[in-house]
Amino acid sequence: MALETPPATQERDHTRAALAELLLALADDEFVTGYANSEWTGIAPILEEDIAFSSLAQDELGHARLFYELLAELRGGAVSPDEIAYDRPPEGFRNAQLAERPRGDWAYSVSRQFLYDTADYVRLECLLGSRYTPLAQAAASVIREERYHLLHAHTWLARLAAGDTARERQHAAFTALWPDALGLFEPLPGEAALVESGIQPAPSAALCQRWLEQIEPMLRQLGLPWPFAQRAAGWEPLLAPHYGGRAGRHSREFAQLYDTITSVRRLEPGAQW
Amino acid sequence: MAAEPTVYEVFRREKPGAPMTHAGSVGAPSPDLALIYAREIFGRRGESDALWIAPRSAFQLLDDQDILRPVLDRSHRTVEGYRMRDKREQLLSQLETKR
Repeated sequence: MALETPPATQERDHTRAALAELLLALADDEFVTGYANSEWTGIAPILEEDIAFSSLAQDELGHARLFYELLAELRGGAVSPDEIAYDRPPEGFRNAQLAERPRGDWAYSVSRQFLYDTADYVRLECLLGSRYTPLAQAAASVIREERYHLLHAHTWLARLAAGDTARERQHAAFTALWPDALGLFEPLPGEAALVESGIQPAPSAALCQRWLEQIEPMLRQLGLPWPFAQRAAGWEPLLAPHYGGRAGRHSREFAQLYDTITSVRRLEPGAQW
Repeated sequence: MAAEPTVYEVFRREKPGAPMTHAGSVGAPSPDLALIYAREIFGRRGESDALWIAPRSAFQLLDDQDILRPVLDRSHRTVEGYRMRDKREQLLSQLETKR
């Protein structure tokens, strides 16, 4: 006899799947950003900055691990955090495209760090109130480290703006970064269920507005590109955001980055390291 | 922008109430960055509860031995009694731990 799945169970499964997607998006953003920033190890402008930027990159990898662990637990421990991180095809990644761009010049990388970490902070602040307790707890730990990331981001934002060549490069970086940065707030496919259940207390569009309101004063004060128009509902972008990352669609550049990230792991699948 | 990074001296405190001790130095192109680098090198592993960061040039150096270590014997001015007290307390606490 064929039994129909009760609607309540269906709904629960749907929410669970949406939660898994959210954890993956959080983890992949941190993982890919951490990797991309770690490319400055050994080549940063001065030794102290080399240490600082590498340490930020390592923090992001640590945060990624935390979110992969939550996902592994959600899946009942059938897969390990490492397997989730390294053993997926490229289209299995849910990071925003912002994270996967090549590191560019120093102005590009620290401007990206500014946009990413300020956005990440808004997202984490929201998740502090998540009704999924493990996620709220993880957000509480991660956000404490992010305060230092903000200090670094703000310091470099002001420093580049005060230079000559640096300022030009910073402008070019922001112009290139805006569509990608807005992609951080691309809604997940199952977002309605996440908001409904209180797992993600606010929708992505609201978080994006919060983020723009927070960074607007300093960016405009420094005369940086601000491609938004003020409307009754908030800041409306004057350019199309680069969406797709949250659905597993990535740029061509990601293919190469993916290759590097998984290269060692693929040497001997299933090996004990 | 300065061509050469400025050297900043960093002092750290292990816990509230402990004395500030010299930790080392960092090079940085601005005071803001000096703060970040000091944190990175002397405070990222939770080993410090507070840091002081100041440009090396802010320190005055006094290392003239004639001034710091006068040649004539003035031991009558030193308070030797305090040294004995410290020594006695140290011995007592050693005895205490042996018990």
